[in-house]
Amino acid sequence: MRKSEEPYLSTYLHGKGRMLGMPIAGTFELTARCNFNCPMCYVHLTPEQLKASGKQELTAQQWLSIAQEARDMGMVFVLLTGGEPLVRKDFFEIYDGMRKMGLLISINTNGSMLQGEILERFLESPPFRFNISLYGGNNETYNRMCGTPAYDRVKENIRRLRQAGVEVSLNLSITPYNKDDLEQIYRDAVELDVNVKASSYMYPSVRVNGEQYGCGNRLSPEESAACSVEWDLLRFSPEEFAARATNMVQKVSVEKEGCPVEIGEGISCRAGSTAFWMTWDGRILPCGMMMEPEVYPLKNGFADAWKELREMTARIRLSAECTSCSYKEVCSTCAAVCFTETGSFEGVPEYNCRRTKAIVRITKEKYLERKEK
Amino acid sequence: MIIKKELIKREIAGDTILVPVGKTVLDSNGLFVLNELGAFIWERLPGAETEAEICDAILAEYEVSPEEAAADVADFLEKLRQLNII
Repeated sequence: MRKSEEPYLSTYLHGKGRMLGMPIAGTFELTARCNFNCPMCYVHLTPEQLKASGKQELTAQQWLSIAQEARDMGMVFVLLTGGEPLVRKDFFEIYDGMRKMGLLISINTNGSMLQGEILERFLESPPFRFNISLYGGNNETYNRMCGTPAYDRVKENIRRLRQAGVEVSLNLSITPYNKDDLEQIYRDAVELDVNVKASSYMYPSVRVNGEQYGCGNRLSPEESAACSVEWDLLRFSPEEFAARATNMVQKVSVEKEGCPVEIGEGISCRAGSTAFWMTWDGRILPCGMMMEPEVYPLKNGFADAWKELREMTARIRLSAECTSCSYKEVCSTCAAVCFTETGSFEGVPEYNCRRTKAIVRITKEKYLERKEK
Repeated sequence: MIIKKELIKREIAGDTILVPVGKTVLDSNGLFVLNELGAFIWERLPGAETEAEICDAILAEYEVSPEEAAADVADFLEKLRQLNII
């Protein structure tokens, strides 16, 4: 299986952007529509839900206009996502327009539509990378999880892209529906020579389901942890896994020095600092998993919206308890997690506390088991 | 000189970046960044017939010796040839 590392230049540009207040990367969520129907999706709306929302997707010209403004302020990297972005009939009007602006484009897709004329067009003008969600290791799992038996088709589409030299990375969401397919998915990734970004943590779908914080069609924290470690055992060599386990245990056992903090830390990722997420209905969020803060570029222009977003994001503080937690160094909790789990950035996400502790415990157990053997 | 690849030049916070477009994406593995002299040479590539023309342009703009200019141009063009850009 291929391993992926962020290009040095991307890290450099984000670093520079952080100092200068520039938007370096933008995610454009072109639609909430999708030809799949996955239960854990945070954005998918059925045609009925879309109609009931009273909202409309932005036009191609609106997307291009916002992209041009962001580009003029320094944006280099664009991620086109959805829903399923390829269900838009004007997708290539948006894609080609952005390419001509000198933007490096990646596309999130379920991969089911990457054939025929659409595939031909992409082979002529490929994106920097396709991030294809792989939902299972056979047609039955796809049917159960996505409502359509598309495994064979998606795998064949990926194979064609790879044969043409197009860069593909797989996104794997591990859920109750596909947790038994991990070995097969790993074998597929090796066979297709692609990197896999896997996660057994599913955000509560608060953007779709309203204020159902902490709820989701997902594994229990302990099951999620077990799947996470199972994936690590597949993807890492015995030496790499041992190093990971040792490192993890060391990080947790280091006692925090000094007094417990009273105020939690701010956001440390790129969301709202050098990166933004524009929703299908025209709002800009720091990250697509959040519901706030939100700003409105179609009203006052992108530049003002970006400035406002940066200021609002900089004011966010996380829980003081999380900031001084002894598991902090091995916990992947972030602002979006806290908000979607608890309804507040300062809330402590219990699901993630349990999950992180279970990951450390199971990793340690597996490491010791292997060592004894 | 003929630039064989589709690349869009951008200025981002003082850096000159080349963004691959079309099939150039397949063999570029991301962005290229040019230093000041690289950007200067890049601008003059399409209109230049020989390396000497580019060296003359450098000597007219920068206070460097002809030997230094020639070495810099040769070095930069060699890198572009290795990447099959020219």
